[in-house]
Amino acid sequence: MSDIPGGPMANRPVHFIWLLDCSYSMQGEKIARLNYAIRESVPEMRSVAHDNPAAQLLLRTVTFSTTAKWHHQTPVPVDDFTWQDVEVDGMTNLGEALSLVSRELQSPPMPQRALKPVLALVSDGVPTDDWKAGLKAVDATPWGRKAVRVAIAIGHDADRSVLQEFLANPELQPLDANSPKQLAAAIRWASTAAVKAASQPVAGSADPLVKQPFAPPVLDDDDEDDVW
Amino acid sequence: MTVLVRSWDTLAESVQGTGKRQNQDWYAFAGTGSGADPLVLAVADGHGSAAHARSALGARFAVDRFVALATEFGRAAGSCDEPGRLARLMNYARNDFPRALVQAWRQEALGHWSRHRPVADLGRPEPDADEKLTLYGTTLIGAVVTPWLLTAWQVGDGDLAVVGHDGSVGRPLAPAEEDLGDETESLCGPQAWRAVRTHWAPVFEEARIPRLVVLSTDGLSKSFASGDGFTEFVEGMDGRLATEGFEGVRTALPDWLRHASRYSGDDTTLAAALLHSYAARPPTETEPKTDTRTDTHTHTDSEN
Repeated sequence: MSDIPGGPMANRPVHFIWLLDCSYSMQGEKIARLNYAIRESVPEMRSVAHDNPAAQLLLRTVTFSTTAKWHHQTPVPVDDFTWQDVEVDGMTNLGEALSLVSRELQSPPMPQRALKPVLALVSDGVPTDDWKAGLKAVDATPWGRKAVRVAIAIGHDADRSVLQEFLANPELQPLDANSPKQLAAAIRWASTAAVKAASQPVAGSADPLVKQPFAPPVLDDDDEDDVW
Repeated sequence: MTVLVRSWDTLAESVQGTGKRQNQDWYAFAGTGSGADPLVLAVADGHGSAAHARSALGARFAVDRFVALATEFGRAAGSCDEPGRLARLMNYARNDFPRALVQAWRQEALGHWSRHRPVADLGRPEPDADEKLTLYGTTLIGAVVTPWLLTAWQVGDGDLAVVGHDGSVGRPLAPAEEDLGDETESLCGPQAWRAVRTHWAPVFEEARIPRLVVLSTDGLSKSFASGDGFTEFVEGMDGRLATEGFEGVRTALPDWLRHASRYSGDDTTLAAALLHSYAARPPTETEPKTDTRTDTHTHTDSEN
């Protein structure tokens, strides 16, 4: 036990928030594969977290369909995180989901002392509400502007321009997941690389180059019969 | 021959962050604190990620260039009783010194790049200067102390604390609002001299000279649960110097920094100077020292 002066010490939290499209267009294999991919990614997230002992990885999930709601509202330490399947229901109210998240990115409730949060958006369609208002609400928060953002476009009907705008960086591209295999790879990447990026120091916040702290993976060309 | 009497006792330590392949911090101190031989302290924190692959060298270049320039500056301040000289020095410290420092660092980093081109880049178009400098990105905090002047500069994160003659703790270069996350200004940034913060503090009465100056990379302050943790650390360190003496703190410091590094995950470096007359006072009975050397000390991690 050290007798260092200065009071208690603590590692800093990384808040990771999944924003998952649960509209009817996700029905069937897409939602099943999404549930499977996220459940399978949890052990790898734990591994990344254990490799970064100075960061405390905390997970939450928002689903959006006709309404947006917290699937996990209280931040859950990755070691305690278990995945409960999400289900489809109705429209694609992305704006409502972003507004919900923006309230959590205020400080408080977000602590001043934290590593950058991660916002991981997964969608297969076109928003059916005022998504720009939701995005503006996120961008209006200090932690929202700092957040590491990743976006996964499921299938060819996903509105990539919306996901691109969510990323807020022309250097970054949404990741295409046009098959179950690609979705699994994309989820695996988002859940690990983004956490690493959030816990890395970044110099010169005005430098656009350093706003791309991680490169999206090159996913294999799809050679499966089952293409979305 | 000039006999230099050591006015300050100095201590420093640097520990590598948990899971890091290399310590990308650097520190140095030089001089005794006399007018002819100003005391100079500096710490630098190379950014360390893949985009800043040579930042350990960048940190060393920053400290080396700072020590050279600040020593020259401190000597120029040796005769500031000349009318108007203090004002000119202040103007230089605030406006010209940051430019000179950034320019010297850029020259050294770009010179190193030219002599050590990345093998993987052979055959590719030569990157522009800003891209090269990004490899060496680092923060820097440095201070120069003479009998009549304390001046300090900082670019990026990290912490400077000054304990006054009366025991009050100040953090004169702390930003009004801390950066969120791990973003920081850097010597590799565009027009980096604009990001340099300056603390100018002439000492008009010898009895009011600060008794302790502490410089630290952000691995220490980011380990505390509270935002006031670093200030409380310096208050506690000052108290421990009073109760356990200089050698007691010097012995404990490596363990303190290792402990902090486990929470921040970062390389953690501290350099401090304690006024010798304060260090030598009871209850710790240390031999009064007269030192005729002018040493430059650095930590001993191997160079790339």
